[in-house]
Amino acid sequence: MSDSQSAPKSRQRSVARVVLVGNPNVGKSVLFNRLTGRYVTVSNYPGTTVEIARGQAVIGGQNCEVLDTPGMYSLTPITEEERVARALLLRERPDVVVHVVDAKNLNRMLALTLQLLEAGLPVILLLNMMDEAERLHLHIDHHALAKKLGIPVIPASLISGRGVEELRSIVNEYLSSGQDYHLPAPD
Amino acid sequence: MSTNTFPADRIITYPPPIEEAVQHIESLLSAEYTVHRRAIALLLLQHDEEIEGMVRRREGEERFARIAEQIREAQLHFQQPLAVVLLAHRQRVAQEIAREVLHTPSRSGSSFAEWLGRVCMQPLTGIPILLLVLYYGLYQFVGVFGGGTLVDLLENRLFGEVINPFLSHWVKALVPFMPIQELLIGEYGIFTLGITYAVALILPIVGTFFLMFSILEDSGYFPRLAMLIDRLFKKIGLNGRAVIPMVLGFGCDTMATMVTRILETPRERLIATFLLALAIPCSAQLGVIMALLASHPGALAIWAGTLVSVFLLIGWLTARVLPGTPATFHIEIPPMRLPILSNVLIKTYARMHWYFREVFPLFIVASVLIWLGQITGLFDLALRALAPAMLLLGLPDDAASAFLFGFFRRDYGAAGLYHLQENGVLSGRQLLVSAITLTLFLPCVAQFLMMKKERGLKTALAMSAIIFPFAIAVGAVMNWILQTIGVNL
Repeated sequence: MSDSQSAPKSRQRSVARVVLVGNPNVGKSVLFNRLTGRYVTVSNYPGTTVEIARGQAVIGGQNCEVLDTPGMYSLTPITEEERVARALLLRERPDVVVHVVDAKNLNRMLALTLQLLEAGLPVILLLNMMDEAERLHLHIDHHALAKKLGIPVIPASLISGRGVEELRSIVNEYLSSGQDYHLPAPD
Repeated sequence: MSTNTFPADRIITYPPPIEEAVQHIESLLSAEYTVHRRAIALLLLQHDEEIEGMVRRREGEERFARIAEQIREAQLHFQQPLAVVLLAHRQRVAQEIAREVLHTPSRSGSSFAEWLGRVCMQPLTGIPILLLVLYYGLYQFVGVFGGGTLVDLLENRLFGEVINPFLSHWVKALVPFMPIQELLIGEYGIFTLGITYAVALILPIVGTFFLMFSILEDSGYFPRLAMLIDRLFKKIGLNGRAVIPMVLGFGCDTMATMVTRILETPRERLIATFLLALAIPCSAQLGVIMALLASHPGALAIWAGTLVSVFLLIGWLTARVLPGTPATFHIEIPPMRLPILSNVLIKTYARMHWYFREVFPLFIVASVLIWLGQITGLFDLALRALAPAMLLLGLPDDAASAFLFGFFRRDYGAAGLYHLQENGVLSGRQLLVSAITLTLFLPCVAQFLMMKKERGLKTALAMSAIIFPFAIAVGAVMNWILQTIGVNL
């Protein structure tokens, strides 16, 4: 959020930027690996990612830079790692923000989705761990959720790869529609 | 706008006084921002310091004062701080949405995984489970199988009887020059020491360790361990969250030092960094020491007991010395699950790959350095300089070379000890004392660099200046105690 970085109205970046955010231990790093084919340490263990990992991916012919962020609980940071994630979101004008949540704990995680939307970020909500949720007989009406939030909602189980293709195609849609989501003309 | 519209900037409507303030603040913001003005206004209402600083710089003092006035006015309508009001409101909206789209079943009987997850966290059942994990996972699998069976197979059979004799024969035949022969196949040669250590000793040990570590990690056991140990950790000024870097430290202290960032206060980060450098043995070291002491279970128990005591004592002391209050504990507990084979294998592979890439060149460089040292006489000089310390620790002069290796990397030093033990040079007591001393040393050059990066050069140097004499002192004291009470190991 430095002053030197002013915000150009229409920005032509040849490489689109896709940022993965979410609470700790929801599967951001797994998704990162799936999208980029690069390996970052993944663990069933919150807080393993403490730095932003950057990787390349080609989505629908478009070159993308994918950024994996440390886990954050809210946009109001407490720990150093949360600060890192937020700074990235607010400064670097991502083209797509994928909010990865644990479907089983949706009610606790939606508040962050709302906060991201409030910041005007182009959010896609990815409901990860649907397999575990289903095992608990938890049913999520993701169509209704998408309607309520006004954004795409994708049920997924990243560990087995479910949902990744759908995410790719939606990210592609976002990128190719080429709009500037971030700053709707000020009224 | 096409399919992707974001009505989102108005997804939550806050209570009227807040909405009014937001509108006023929005109209006062004149600079360009990368996010919605509404978002900036809301963050300002929550007293976000970073945003306040930015807005103050961009809008100027006069405008900022008018914004601040709006915030003060809004606050008058509420008893709680605005940050709390906003948070609560947002959470209420989130809950409402969740309720509408979620269909939860009536809670049925809990599954086996849930039950297992619970008993891992309760002291009465959790501690026996921890001991089982340590005994079978660490001692039997890594120490006895990895460090015993596999190492024997690779080092003695493959390298000792096949590869090294073969190389030695050909090097002697092809290179008539004695010093070069020494460099390649001598006592500390690139092949006979560097590559043999790396492939025949470290590889099987680290491999089995990482495999076990990945299985436990993927199962979701570690966060439960964190819950279990939380109470104990509070006593030493850390909370359960600090278990994460500590446990990772058993994999690699360098990586774990970086992960201390997840701790909330600088005080906790400092304590954790210090404890990692001092008392947490990394995988390579742990494995070699397991292998080293597996034949002396008594020594292994004393080694573990000493390290735990040092860890607790130093942690407790550091917490006394450093002012500050312990942070609160908050950790997500993921579900227990059966580890997924592909996950475990990828993780093990990635860790080994990374470890090997770091360690392999270093072992070769060490061989070359020692060779240079021998030619120039510096090596003997250094060994002689260490002689008093060896005397203090009750160790034979030969052990000095292992300690010298230990300055490069603790595991390298431990591997040196392993070698001595195989040759029957060390008694049980001597093994134990050297294992304790080496474990307390700083793990490796890489960790020092990471400490410098995370905590600053002064702190890193200060910690090292404490650690080295302390390690030798503990070793000397242990030696004295064992000798005095005449323990035979």
